[in-house]
Amino acid sequence: MGRDALIIVGVNHRTAPVAVRERLGFRPDELAPTLMRLTGVEGVREAVIVSTCNRVEVIASVDEALPQATEAIGGFLAADRNVAPADLAPHLFAHCGRDALRHLFRVTSSLDSMVVGEPQILGQVKEHYEEASQAGTSGAVLHKMFHRAFAVAKRVRTETGIAGKAVSVASVAVDMARTIFESLNDKTAMLIGAGEMSELAARHLRAQGISGIIVTTRTFEHAVEVAREFGGMPVPFDRLVEYLRLADVVIGSTSVNEYVVTPTLVQEVLRARRQRPMFFIDMGVPRNFDPAINALANVYLYDIDDLGVAVAGNVDDRERESVRAQAIVEEEVERTWRWFGALEVVPTIVAIREKVEAIRQRELEKALLSLKDQAPRHRALLDALTSSIVNKILHAPISSLKSPDAEARDLLASARRLFDLEPPADDDDEEPS
Amino acid sequence: MELELLKIALAAYILAAGILGLHLVVLHPAPRVIGLSVLLTGFLAHGASIAARSAAGGYVAVTTEYEALSFFAWLTVGVYLAVELRYRLPAVGAVVAPLAFGVTLGAFVFYAGVRDLPPNLRSAWLPVHIALAFLGNAVLALACCVSLVYLVHERQLKEKRVGSVMRRMPSLEALDQLNYRALACGFPLLTLGIITGALWGKHSWGHFWSWEEREVFSLILWFLYAGLLQARLVAGWRGRRLATVTIIGFAVVFASFVFGHVLFPGKHGGSFD
Repeated sequence: MGRDALIIVGVNHRTAPVAVRERLGFRPDELAPTLMRLTGVEGVREAVIVSTCNRVEVIASVDEALPQATEAIGGFLAADRNVAPADLAPHLFAHCGRDALRHLFRVTSSLDSMVVGEPQILGQVKEHYEEASQAGTSGAVLHKMFHRAFAVAKRVRTETGIAGKAVSVASVAVDMARTIFESLNDKTAMLIGAGEMSELAARHLRAQGISGIIVTTRTFEHAVEVAREFGGMPVPFDRLVEYLRLADVVIGSTSVNEYVVTPTLVQEVLRARRQRPMFFIDMGVPRNFDPAINALANVYLYDIDDLGVAVAGNVDDRERESVRAQAIVEEEVERTWRWFGALEVVPTIVAIREKVEAIRQRELEKALLSLKDQAPRHRALLDALTSSIVNKILHAPISSLKSPDAEARDLLASARRLFDLEPPADDDDEEPS
Repeated sequence: MELELLKIALAAYILAAGILGLHLVVLHPAPRVIGLSVLLTGFLAHGASIAARSAAGGYVAVTTEYEALSFFAWLTVGVYLAVELRYRLPAVGAVVAPLAFGVTLGAFVFYAGVRDLPPNLRSAWLPVHIALAFLGNAVLALACCVSLVYLVHERQLKEKRVGSVMRRMPSLEALDQLNYRALACGFPLLTLGIITGALWGKHSWGHFWSWEEREVFSLILWFLYAGLLQARLVAGWRGRRLATVTIIGFAVVFASFVFGHVLFPGKHGGSFD
């Protein structure tokens, strides 16, 4: 059986526009079954899917012997999401081995985020990893990788100022609102769906003095809950249209299969509000608002990619911190890569043998010292006896490790742990508590 | 003296245009203050130049084509500076300053020394008529500049070209409101300008209205703005549409200048013979 190879295949905001990402995204309840199917693909041993509005990435441990693993996973994604492989191919990226490790660390540390340093990504990665753990598709290799990634994220957060100055997409959205509206004191915002990002935007709008916030979500109870938090007004989802005319800023982040707001609707609403301008912020993936509404007079629509461009203008300050964070990531990649390289059958067996042999020699010397009669005959006898015991004890574990079945890989990690063979540099501070 | 001061004003206008333009692309706040100070210097020098000419000629120097253009440019800068005090719109200044430069430079083309006015022009109505009409035009010129900035900013927003220039822009709402206010001020001034003009016409020529090009244009403009205000108040016209029509309106003002002064030099062209 071949070595493990770590690969990451997927799309993210750097490689694919929102129009592509929204077609690939997974709802939380779709993750487990997809992961099961994915690990059913020949050669794919472990898999975690991270699906957020900015990325859909498959992190997998595959059999090194699997030819074209990236194509296999890319093909799986296309088939699973009903996208023509030719449509997907130009947007797919793939990282292998050390590059994959680096990418995972960068993502988790929020260095790869649209808004570098934004805090949500770590929680999102953790959730997706938990999901895979529960589905049983994350094994020894990915467990280790993700726990290291979380530790790296923590280090980056505490040792650099990258999060301190994080400018979120939400705050950029509010800045944009201020280039349209002179004052927010006499304006009303409407939240359609209440995701983390839109709630953040609502909080920023409140801080800027917006006069009212209307909240509508699919379940009215949730709307009531969110509205209470902002002192807003909850509205049933089916009455969205009537209340839309009151809203100057509309933030969408609900999960939809079709556009909630269409050009015809907006035209009607604009007439009712005497053409007063409306600012639509689409934080949904898939998008909530029909992109065509941007063409209407006095309507401005920004989706999550557009805001990302706006954010890009704000990153100068964080560039320096980003360099330091990058150095931390590199250091951690090296360290983890050493561990990953050690995760092979032969070096593990050799290490176990060396370790046990060292113990045997030490104990043998002690025993011989305490023997009054140190005849060479006795020495040979004791040597043979201890060797025999050690070999008999090690026989079963070692032959298990050498066996070609899939479980052996999990055993390898366990064995390293049972025999305390972790690389000394690895302080394991990331183990779950 | 008069010409020297005017040259200082010209230099200040073009310099202010450059500095206020720079303000749009750099994040440092200094160019705004410097640019506005330079523009104010130009305004004062320009005002002194007009005063010097008036003193030399013994009449309010606003009648010949040179004087009219120069006075118009001066008023436009003045109106902008007054508005800037309250609204902080350096982006509009970046449009007003080059406009003032261009119009003042145009005035040089018609430069002629002071001359004696025919006695019938020494009516008290004349400076009142001219001051009101030109103030109206200056306010409409400002509305035009504001509209231009609006259209640029609106386009940036629509096309999502987010950058430092956009950050320097006043909000669309502020621009739209200022445009409307300028129209709401400019329109009564225009009306008063027409009425005082008619009174002056009656006083010095014996008839209220003579269907001169300038008068026709003023009338067209009056109806255009009346319609625009009506559309704003009743139909809620705003934004891009309002800005576009405002710019067309100013184009009519400009055309009336060119036609009235150059192609058909009648009373309004400064030849009263």
